[in-house]
Amino acid sequence: MNGEELRILVVDDEYGIREGCRKILTEEGFHVTTAVDGIEALEVFGRANQYSAALVDLMMPRLGGLELIGRLKEIDPDLLLIIITAYATIDTAVEGTKRGAYSYIPKPFTPDELMLTIRNGLERQALALEAKRLREERERRLLEVASERSRCGTILRCITDGLLVINQEKLVVLRNNAAARILPKASKLDVPFPLATLEDPKIEQVIDEIFEEDPGPRIVSRELDIGKSTFMLNISPVIEPNGETSGAVAVFRDITALKKLETAKSMFVSMVAHELKSPLAATEGWLNLLLSGLVKDDPKEARHVIERSYIRVNTLRNLVSELLSITAIETGNFQLHRSSVDVSAIARQAVEAAGEKAGSKAIDLALNNLSLDKAITALADEEALLLIFSNLIDNAVKYTPDGGTVTVRVAQNGMYVSVAVEDTGMGIKAEEMEKIFDEFYRIKSEDTVDIPGTGLGLSLVKRLVDLHQGQIEAESTAGAGSVFTVKIPLS
Amino acid sequence: MRPSIMLVDDDRDFLEMNRGILEAQGFRVDCFTDADQAWERMKGRVPDLVITDLMMKSLDSGFSLARKIKSDPRYTDVPVIIVTAITSKLHFDFNPQSREELEVMGCQAYFDKPVSPDLLIAKVKELLS
Repeated sequence: MNGEELRILVVDDEYGIREGCRKILTEEGFHVTTAVDGIEALEVFGRANQYSAALVDLMMPRLGGLELIGRLKEIDPDLLLIIITAYATIDTAVEGTKRGAYSYIPKPFTPDELMLTIRNGLERQALALEAKRLREERERRLLEVASERSRCGTILRCITDGLLVINQEKLVVLRNNAAARILPKASKLDVPFPLATLEDPKIEQVIDEIFEEDPGPRIVSRELDIGKSTFMLNISPVIEPNGETSGAVAVFRDITALKKLETAKSMFVSMVAHELKSPLAATEGWLNLLLSGLVKDDPKEARHVIERSYIRVNTLRNLVSELLSITAIETGNFQLHRSSVDVSAIARQAVEAAGEKAGSKAIDLALNNLSLDKAITALADEEALLLIFSNLIDNAVKYTPDGGTVTVRVAQNGMYVSVAVEDTGMGIKAEEMEKIFDEFYRIKSEDTVDIPGTGLGLSLVKRLVDLHQGQIEAESTAGAGSVFTVKIPLS
Repeated sequence: MRPSIMLVDDDRDFLEMNRGILEAQGFRVDCFTDADQAWERMKGRVPDLVITDLMMKSLDSGFSLARKIKSDPRYTDVPVIIVTAITSKLHFDFNPQSREELEVMGCQAYFDKPVSPDLLIAKVKELLS
């Protein structure tokens, strides 16, 4: 051992012993501190608890050696304690070692006697420390193994994917909680159980494939319907170092939501295709009629055909621009250009734009500004607001029979500005109310057959209102009329 | 007496253009925008031929009209032509052309919109002869 690093505390009320020990030990390379009694020794020890050994006299004033030994052992159980005493008896020596001293040296002693005892003691201490370190390490490792196991268990329990481990004999040797949930038959069985008891030929088939083919680090994936859910079943082989396949790990991932999304997307695409095709087919049909010479040789007839085509082409163009807007909103590419705008002024603009159409149907279209034409300022996108109001007013005019009334009311209600478009039109049946904001939903009846529309207007309006953190409400009485109210937060 | 044709479509443009085409050929044409109303009328006066759209109020309005006609002994001999803009295989996975396929649909002919006037006239005349 290297004495240079070790610190030794010498406690004795005799000046001669203290300084004698200091001299001997310093020469041997120890760092020595001295104390005159037990109290001072505890103070010194407390200041720098880095001592390897302490030489302790038994008879000292204030705090005696025996008691000091006990106290020091309490503070540092590994401390090497050696008693130095002029009154050595067997009794006191036994008492001292009982309290934790390693040995004792009777006074007077020679430097060699002192060093021999100290060196033996330090050697034993080193062995004891090493043994203790090994013991602690072993305990720590055991704890780690235990916690590793419980950690794996916890992960397997908490993982949302179902997991089965299947061995070469096609026994399920492990299943987690999710697998028990996914495969009702598996929940009632304790592992190990034969894979066949799951009565799922598709799983068995994939397992056979894994076991029969050349082993290799590959994953076999299958879609699997279990109950009302769809799962992606991924099975990977467990390959041993010798290259043999000893089993397989099967993971069941619930992809029901993804599947639904996929179906919804396909439905949307096919609806778009149909909605695009209808006006195109109608236009083509009219042009076909013109080209085939079946239209009477009359400018009025020809003009009629062209007008009808024009209306359909116009619908088609609106449909495409609304689709583009909706797609932009959906993909987050629609930028609102917010500024302080006067909502009353925008509502007035929308009413004026619809004036001609309303006039042609003798509909009384009026703007009723409850704020008495005072500006109502909101932080909003002017173009988007105009689109919202125009859409609602156009709808009201379209679905109101000739001679009816459409009233637009603008009012400031607390933190909101509300714009209500009320008509005396055909109204909306209760069962249709919840669908009117869906894409391509159009109310089909004898009365609506001549009303052109894309089925995207209200859907776009709702999205634009949402972008403004606003609200849209619809109230209606079939046969009597509807009110659409948009609320936009004020700046 | 002029043969009568029942036209069913919720698209006014197709009703109008097909009526024009058929009336020019001397047929009497009755137009309906709703399959249920067309069915009601069947009971009063049986047409010589029915031309119907597929997707009207619901996805299969025209489809069920065709099947009702074919399964009712009073009308089972009335030829039905289906004209539709539905092309997506997601809705209906067919483009029936063989006699068997058309029979399953409850029709004698199936056209994609818009059907050319010549083709429509030829098919109507063929089915009425």
